[in-house]
Amino acid sequence: MKGFTLWFTGLSGSGKSTLAHRIEEILLERGMKVEVLDGDVVRQNLSKGLGYSKEDRDINIRRIGWVCHILTRNEVVAIAAAISPYKEIRNENRRLIGRFVEVYCKCPIECLKGRDPKGLYEKAIRGEIKNFTGVNDPYEPPEHPEIIAETDKESVDESVNKIIRTLELMGCIPAGEDSEDYTAEEEEKIKKRLKDLGYI
Amino acid sequence: MEKILIVGLDCATPQLVFEQFASDLPNLAGLWQKGIKARMVSTIPPITVPAWTSMMTSKDPGQLGFYGFRNRGGYDYENLYFANANYVKEKTIWNYANRHRMAALCFGIPQTYPPKPMNGITVGCFLTPDKNADYTFPGEIKAELDKVADGDYIIDIKDFRTDNKDWLLEQIYIMTERRFKAFRHFYKKDEWPFAMMVEMGIDRIHHGFWRFFDQGHRLFEPGNKYENAIRDYYIFVDQKIGELLNELDAQTSVMVVSDHGAKRMEGAICVNEWLKKMGWLKLKSEPKEQTRFKMEMVDWEHTAAWSEGGYYARVFFNVQGREPQGVVPQNDYEKFRDEVKAALEAIADESGKNIGTLVFKPQDIYKEVKNIPPDLIVHFGNLDWRSAGSVGGGKIHIYENDTGPDDANHAQEAIFIWNIEPGRLIEKKDLISIYDLAPTVLKYLGISPPQDMIGKSLLK
Repeated sequence: MKGFTLWFTGLSGSGKSTLAHRIEEILLERGMKVEVLDGDVVRQNLSKGLGYSKEDRDINIRRIGWVCHILTRNEVVAIAAAISPYKEIRNENRRLIGRFVEVYCKCPIECLKGRDPKGLYEKAIRGEIKNFTGVNDPYEPPEHPEIIAETDKESVDESVNKIIRTLELMGCIPAGEDSEDYTAEEEEKIKKRLKDLGYI
Repeated sequence: MEKILIVGLDCATPQLVFEQFASDLPNLAGLWQKGIKARMVSTIPPITVPAWTSMMTSKDPGQLGFYGFRNRGGYDYENLYFANANYVKEKTIWNYANRHRMAALCFGIPQTYPPKPMNGITVGCFLTPDKNADYTFPGEIKAELDKVADGDYIIDIKDFRTDNKDWLLEQIYIMTERRFKAFRHFYKKDEWPFAMMVEMGIDRIHHGFWRFFDQGHRLFEPGNKYENAIRDYYIFVDQKIGELLNELDAQTSVMVVSDHGAKRMEGAICVNEWLKKMGWLKLKSEPKEQTRFKMEMVDWEHTAAWSEGGYYARVFFNVQGREPQGVVPQNDYEKFRDEVKAALEAIADESGKNIGTLVFKPQDIYKEVKNIPPDLIVHFGNLDWRSAGSVGGGKIHIYENDTGPDDANHAQEAIFIWNIEPGRLIEKKDLISIYDLAPTVLKYLGISPPQDMIGKSLLK
């Protein structure tokens, strides 16, 4: 199977990392080479020192995009999970990489403020964090993502299944199993052998 | 990198490996003397399917949703499917290994046909219909497999039910020799944190030759030509394991396990004939003589229960509103089930002595019950007796079986051997559960066993 990039975009807390890691597990199980570039993790290494100005965000997303590009061309599935708020830069990555599947983790801001898994929305609303996407910094949703995961409405399993099924249909990943049952002839062969052995 | 190799020997039985043949098996003994050996309690029922998959997933048959080779796909009367790999939904040891970026070599493990894409190599098990099928992952290795297996890798013995025992014995040896040879070849090709092969030969030789070796068997003839066939084969397998051990580095941990044991078969209980005698099964017409049971013989409107057999029996009830022509009222289901259970437990041999039949309700013995379980699972005489499909002739106990070999039945306890340093174990036990194997292997590989596995790691 050829490599491709699976790019998760969405507001903070919308489920990007959760879904990225669940997809990573499944693809590893199916024998694919996979790497995850999680925005929070990348900002601790590759993009350490970058801030949240537009300029710094663009550098960060372009860096992640470039790593995804070189992974993809080496038959690895590169899974990016970053807010990536500006569509111009996301589309630039799409053009660079080619085999690019965008997943929009769509969740209303009110729901995210309620979830607030890292306590960041509260801090942003209080003014303790500047340039926080969705509160006092923009997010430009994708216009034509390949997959939309409505994470306020779907369970994690539902979103994961939707993503996997779409990737199978797109021919990006092998099917998890052969859904065909034995033919009648094949079943007769198994039946005879098991009968001879006394199992049935 | 931690590495573990598991050699699976289907049906290898503790009373032979650990006792009667122990001094003849230096390679196996070497493993347990360095580490541990234990009897391992298998699944209910202790049958290849579902036992190996229960072992690999640490999930019971109810959680897996299959209760034997063939399972009801619906509540109609003739809707049985074979539970191959397509029906294994729970995660195996190698699934978890792959998730942690460890490659796996899986050779002949039931149930791995049809093979699923994975990180490593899978050679499908004996549920492969024939060699034309795509039974390897990756597909490309199929040709290489035959090449390294002396030109023709043997998945399983064809034409097992033959009177030509010389031929059968030879086939079992050839199959085993080729499988070990092929496994060694692929094992050496890469580094495998997890590698496992399952050899079916011991099961095949037990079912085919037990009467020739077991002096207590009713069909035993002293001085017969095959008296040492089983012993010699175990010695051969031990030698093959020795050859494999020579390929390993000192860091690779080795387990040798089976999925269930074996024991003498006293005879067969014609369970459908018994149900008929009890008034719970009615046939459209009484057969003139003992004949194979077929579903089309049944007068469903007057039948409360029927059975599918094998080494154990599954009893199914004809329930109103559930089966197409059900007769047992839903409200009476449990009462009827208790009645049938008690009657089965009371079955005696021809001298009137109770044979000690064990009868299980799936809901009582499994953590959950997926798909369609049998209404009752029956181990006649605690597996001293098998279940026969014959009806007619009035006989409940028969000694010449029309459907399968008469020699050995399965036994509840399997073998577990591991060359682990005993100090690494929580405690040294003589008896473990089949469900403990997967959590133990995962822990050994540095993976936290998932909480939903029903067994527990043996490691500290």
